[in-house]
Amino acid sequence: MAERDKPWLDVIDHTADVGIVVRAGDLRTLFVRAAWGMFSLITDPEKVSPVEAARISVSANDRDELLRNWLSELNYRHVAEQRVFGSFAVSELTEVRAEGEARGERLDPARHDVFGEVKAVTFHGLKVAREGGQWVARVIFDV
Amino acid sequence: MSDFRQITDFLWERAPAGGMRVPARIYATRRMFEAVASDNAPEQVVNVAHLPGIVGASLAMPDIHWGYGFAIGGVAGFDAREGIVSPGGVGYDINCGVRFLATALAREEVQPRIGDLVNGLFHSIPSGVGSSGALTASRAELQKAAVQGAAWAVGRGYGREEDLAYIEEGGCMADADPAQVSDRAWKRGQGQLGTLGSGNHFLEIAYVSEVYDENAAGVMGLFPGQVTLTVHCGSRGFGYQVCDDYLGVMDRAVKRYGIELPDRQLACAPLRSAEAQAYLGAMRCAVNYAFANRQVIAHLARETFERVLERGPADLGLRTVYEVAHNIAKFERHRVGGRELLLCVHRKGATRAFPPGHPDVPAVYREIGQPVLIPGDMGRYSYVLTGTARAMRDTLGSTCHGAGRAMSRKRAARTAGGRDIAGELRRRDIVVIGRSRRTLVEEIPEAYKDVADVVDVCVAAGISNRVARLTPMGCIKG
Repeated sequence: MAERDKPWLDVIDHTADVGIVVRAGDLRTLFVRAAWGMFSLITDPEKVSPVEAARISVSANDRDELLRNWLSELNYRHVAEQRVFGSFAVSELTEVRAEGEARGERLDPARHDVFGEVKAVTFHGLKVAREGGQWVARVIFDV
Repeated sequence: MSDFRQITDFLWERAPAGGMRVPARIYATRRMFEAVASDNAPEQVVNVAHLPGIVGASLAMPDIHWGYGFAIGGVAGFDAREGIVSPGGVGYDINCGVRFLATALAREEVQPRIGDLVNGLFHSIPSGVGSSGALTASRAELQKAAVQGAAWAVGRGYGREEDLAYIEEGGCMADADPAQVSDRAWKRGQGQLGTLGSGNHFLEIAYVSEVYDENAAGVMGLFPGQVTLTVHCGSRGFGYQVCDDYLGVMDRAVKRYGIELPDRQLACAPLRSAEAQAYLGAMRCAVNYAFANRQVIAHLARETFERVLERGPADLGLRTVYEVAHNIAKFERHRVGGRELLLCVHRKGATRAFPPGHPDVPAVYREIGQPVLIPGDMGRYSYVLTGTARAMRDTLGSTCHGAGRAMSRKRAARTAGGRDIAGELRRRDIVVIGRSRRTLVEEIPEAYKDVADVVDVCVAAGISNRVARLTPMGCIKG
């Protein structure tokens, strides 16, 4: 599992669902790492070639919802466009708006091991907070 | 959860307190109750008891486990005039359900070809994450499927007219409104009709290994040693997106209508509001999508049986016994507290189990009650049950829906370690194919609770009758 060499990522082991906890020194990195963490549940992001870029732009009422919407949009682009992503960047981030891009390629079952499906990014226990000098996000996925 | 007290050997209740409008009731043995209490599921049953217009009790079946907002295994009825509808009470995989079919063949006839049969099914029915390609349907066709349900598939040559009578709701929920479905949902649903999907969705060939109620089994045309087929899947990405879209809508509706909630994930809207009507219109589209999906899969499976076993349709006799929905909200008439009420019944990981004599039970089954198929895991067994008058009285005509996971996927994979799961099952005469090794290790039999325990509680509590047990011969995991 990719989380082993990512000290900033923990996968939450829940009976019926799966979640992630990610940590970062700043919010932009937190959003990038959360995206990576989510895609590590879907495939191995390190085996994805960053040949195409998808622009991602989301808004929300608060920061928690913004992270959910950011991940939800990425998952939608993955399932609707049959693409996988392995690297992410956030170019603009406020409390209620995020812009960035995800780099990846067309899903190729011959090259990409698909571990599972994220049905949805839930509001359950959703949290973006500052803890002990760093930013921490907790997200549960319906899988 | 010491606030719950044991009422009978199989029923726990928490009396209304604080903002609870009705009691919370959980069907479970002491051992089961203690296990579920550790994951906050009972608290979720209590939370649902707070919702406006809830009638009778907030209920949970013995396969209860933690879910999004509402617990999985939850059943709740809301007054049609004063109640609410909540997407979290239906779940993401709208109308996830089970189609149960029986053949005219005996186990001995099929066993020598089981490997070919499972392989054939694996190749003819797309499965796995994001699977697509069983049939092509334009957006306009997809919209017809979302309105007509299983009948749409039959009209396109997938299956037979007579299948429809043996599907809950006749395979089509009225008042589906495609205008309430987002562009995103249509896009996610495109190309996924006739696909199994991933996770716990499966297609299983089994044989009748035990008959408990000869009369009911006879009425269903089941006999010992008979080969059966079960399809478990739902509305795919289409349904997930409908749920996701409307959770946002309901989150705003809660503020607009001043509804106080103990948990944000119970987001809901009054049944008479525009938001509720829009959700119900979209949800019914997803319900019908799932009915069409299982109809197509059942047909592809039928063709595969005929091809691999080189049998004609009459010889094969593969017919639908019944199909049930697990994740759904619908209007039903129930007697509660001596009054007949029209309720919006939410079942989330629970199965409708109507009693003998109920007009919504197909005429051929009216004497025995509605058939219910309760899947177990791929290594043990599944059960065929029927609904009872007691279920109608105590659980809004509902029963359990499956075994429920005992281990997280990660723990299951750790437990499986380097084991050859397919090889282990093959030695027990069960042929299993998964889209990936990961699917199989996550779905190992011991990752699930023993479904017999769940069924025992339903039978002991009188909310189901046990008719037959099925033992797996072959299984495809998405």
